[in-house]
Amino acid sequence: MELRQERRPAERPLVSVVDDDQSVRESLPDLLCEFGFAARVFSSAEELLASDCVEQTRCLILDVAMPGMSGPNLQRELKLRGQEIPIIFITGSTDKTVRPRLLEQGAVECLFKPFSDMALLEAVNSALRPKSDRNGTS
Amino acid sequence: MEVQHELASGDVRHLQRCINDLVSLLALPAIWSGGDPSQVLHTLLDALMRMLRLDLASVRLTYPVGEPPIEIVRFAELRRPVPSAHEICEALSQCFKNDSRKWPPVLRNLMGEGDISIVPLPLGLQGELGVIVVAAERTDFPRQTEALLLSVAANQASIGLQEARLLSHQKRVASELDQQVAQRTAQLAAAEERWRSVYENSAIGVALADLNGRFLAANPVYEKMLGYTEEELRNLSFFEVTNEEDREPTQILIGELLAEKRQQFQIEEQYRRKNGSLMWVRNNVSMVPGTERVPRFLMALSEDVTERKQAEENLRRSEAFLAEGQHLARVGSFSWRVETDEITWSEQLYRIFEFDEDTPQTLERIFSRVHPDDIQLLHEMVERARRDGSDIDYGHRLLMPNHSVKHVNMVAHATRDRDGRLEYIGAVQDVTQRQLSEEALSKARSELAHVARITSLGVLTASIAHEVNQPLSGIITNAGTCLRMLAADPPNVDGARETARRTIRDGNRASEVITRLRALYGRKDATIESVDLNEATREVLALSLSELQRNRILVQQELADGLPLVAGNRVQLQQVILNLLRNASDAMSAVDDRPRQLLIRTDGDEDDHVRLIVKDAGVGFAPQAADRLFESFYTTKNDGMGIGLSVSRSIIESHHGRLWATPNSGPGATFSFSIPRASEGATGAESNRDIRTPDVTDAA
Repeated sequence: MELRQERRPAERPLVSVVDDDQSVRESLPDLLCEFGFAARVFSSAEELLASDCVEQTRCLILDVAMPGMSGPNLQRELKLRGQEIPIIFITGSTDKTVRPRLLEQGAVECLFKPFSDMALLEAVNSALRPKSDRNGTS
Repeated sequence: MEVQHELASGDVRHLQRCINDLVSLLALPAIWSGGDPSQVLHTLLDALMRMLRLDLASVRLTYPVGEPPIEIVRFAELRRPVPSAHEICEALSQCFKNDSRKWPPVLRNLMGEGDISIVPLPLGLQGELGVIVVAAERTDFPRQTEALLLSVAANQASIGLQEARLLSHQKRVASELDQQVAQRTAQLAAAEERWRSVYENSAIGVALADLNGRFLAANPVYEKMLGYTEEELRNLSFFEVTNEEDREPTQILIGELLAEKRQQFQIEEQYRRKNGSLMWVRNNVSMVPGTERVPRFLMALSEDVTERKQAEENLRRSEAFLAEGQHLARVGSFSWRVETDEITWSEQLYRIFEFDEDTPQTLERIFSRVHPDDIQLLHEMVERARRDGSDIDYGHRLLMPNHSVKHVNMVAHATRDRDGRLEYIGAVQDVTQRQLSEEALSKARSELAHVARITSLGVLTASIAHEVNQPLSGIITNAGTCLRMLAADPPNVDGARETARRTIRDGNRASEVITRLRALYGRKDATIESVDLNEATREVLALSLSELQRNRILVQQELADGLPLVAGNRVQLQQVILNLLRNASDAMSAVDDRPRQLLIRTDGDEDDHVRLIVKDAGVGFAPQAADRLFESFYTTKNDGMGIGLSVSRSIIESHHGRLWATPNSGPGATFSFSIPRASEGATGAESNRDIRTPDVTDAA
């Protein structure tokens, strides 16, 4: 596949996934690995913050609604900590008004579940580009 | 003649003395005037002793018979010892016996030594008064003149004694009279005192007035009643203390008294007190006939009946209230004497039945108004009431002459009078309006239920989409990964197999969501079945969990083990549970200073009921709003429609249960419902429990 990026494991950028839904936590890492990324999953925002992965994470795939700290709250928390990690929100909600709001708040993308593997790849690739190159090329 | 003879003898001196003595004797009555018999006799004896130089003079007065005799003796100075008057008189009496007229004129040598001439002088015409005895030792005693003097003296004494006797009698009579007068006076004074005491201490007011009505006197009660002193009253008349409106009738009646058309009259009228306030008196006014000294006058006996009048007025008012209350409440009351079929109706009952009030009520007449379909039942009720005197609580319809139908409720309680006769006392309420309102309300409720269902569905749709999208997302991701793994060189078959397995699992998960949805909304009929409230609750929780989580609600479940089944409509009950959960969640949406804790608990209630409670830590509600919460369109939420709770309550009530809310001791509120458990052996649709089903199922 042309999209597959051949990298040695140590060079693979780390994509972290935070979602309370088990299906997502089980399915996404395999796909991300297929795309050539390294992946770590967390069931809550608190779990991510408590881990040692925040520094290495190049892209964060983040569920919007979760018990405890929600996705947007985590976004704010990271910003407060000075961690400018590109974020791709994913949501099971059907409310289409959520997306522009989240993009406005600085998210790279907001994907509605279920989303296609290509949409995810595009979003991750966009997230990994330098910030100045992102808009218009995604 | 013998006097002339003595004159002739020239003894002028003797004659002169004799005349002097005679004058003295004749003057004696003047001295005696006012004296008593003993005084008369004393002076007489003294005079005789002196005039006639007697040696002894005694008297024995034996009149009046029955009284002790008066016995007096006078002696000249004698050398001999003197016997007592009594002894001498006794001795004389024994000598002369009692008839002094038969005594010899002169006796000699009666007592002691020597001679003595004794002359007895009977007193009274026949000696009935007594006897005077005089004696002298002179042998010439009595000479002619002396005898004459003695005879005059005896006559004078008799007259004097008679007069004294008369006087004494008169005195006695006069004294007796005085005594009687004094006694009578004392009796009169006592009687007067009694009357005065009655007059002054009487419980009712007494007033006396002249014929113009001007007060002559009034007793203390009367004065106190009006607040005037007796002095002030004397300047007033009956009419002046009578209230203006009552004056004329009083005046007319008093006119009739004066004209002697009547002797008395009674009147209840108002008096005006000195302080201006009005009081009610019951007056009994009579004409007191005059006497020789006292002209006729008016007497009023006045009783203060203000309190009684007030009580009567209160009674009238409460009767009026009752009538008005009956009118407003459309309630009429009645009594029915079963034995005689005597029926008494209140005014309002006539109005409800649209009968003319003047005609007495009979059972036949009542039955003529009863709706033909209800007549049989009413007959049975009457027969049962006659038989056992049980209480009546019964609703039926009336068919009015204009063919309109009225709904009435009748309640009656049986009592027995002293003779054991049965009497029903009861009330009939016209509930036509309420019946119509209830029908309208029921319709409105089902419309509301419809709206509520649509509304919950709207919210649910998002929740369901979320629920389904989660596994779908997993499926698509897994499938994409699977394809990629198979397309790799070499293909990652193990990885692909794993992703395929996950795809199947997520597919099943999505299918489960659909199954649950079908369970919740797929049924078309509101069948009654035995419902496991725990299972129903778990299904609702499973469907709403993600929504609750999104709202950061911490759900705590305490579903009791071995919970009895309840009889009901599963979908409706789940709607209620869903509603309570949403309600709790909404109540906590603004809570940030404490955990958004939600407790859902089931347990077996007492009385064979099963209870479910949903407790939140939200904004709560004021205790006084507890009932309003269940009113349609009442809401504490800015964006809520406020119909969920009213519909929920109507659903629970249709299950013969109860839904209520209580404020928590801490923050938030607790909503609970309790419904009866399924009867033993009742399963599924076989349950014959009657559940009025709000029209909620056709909303799907």
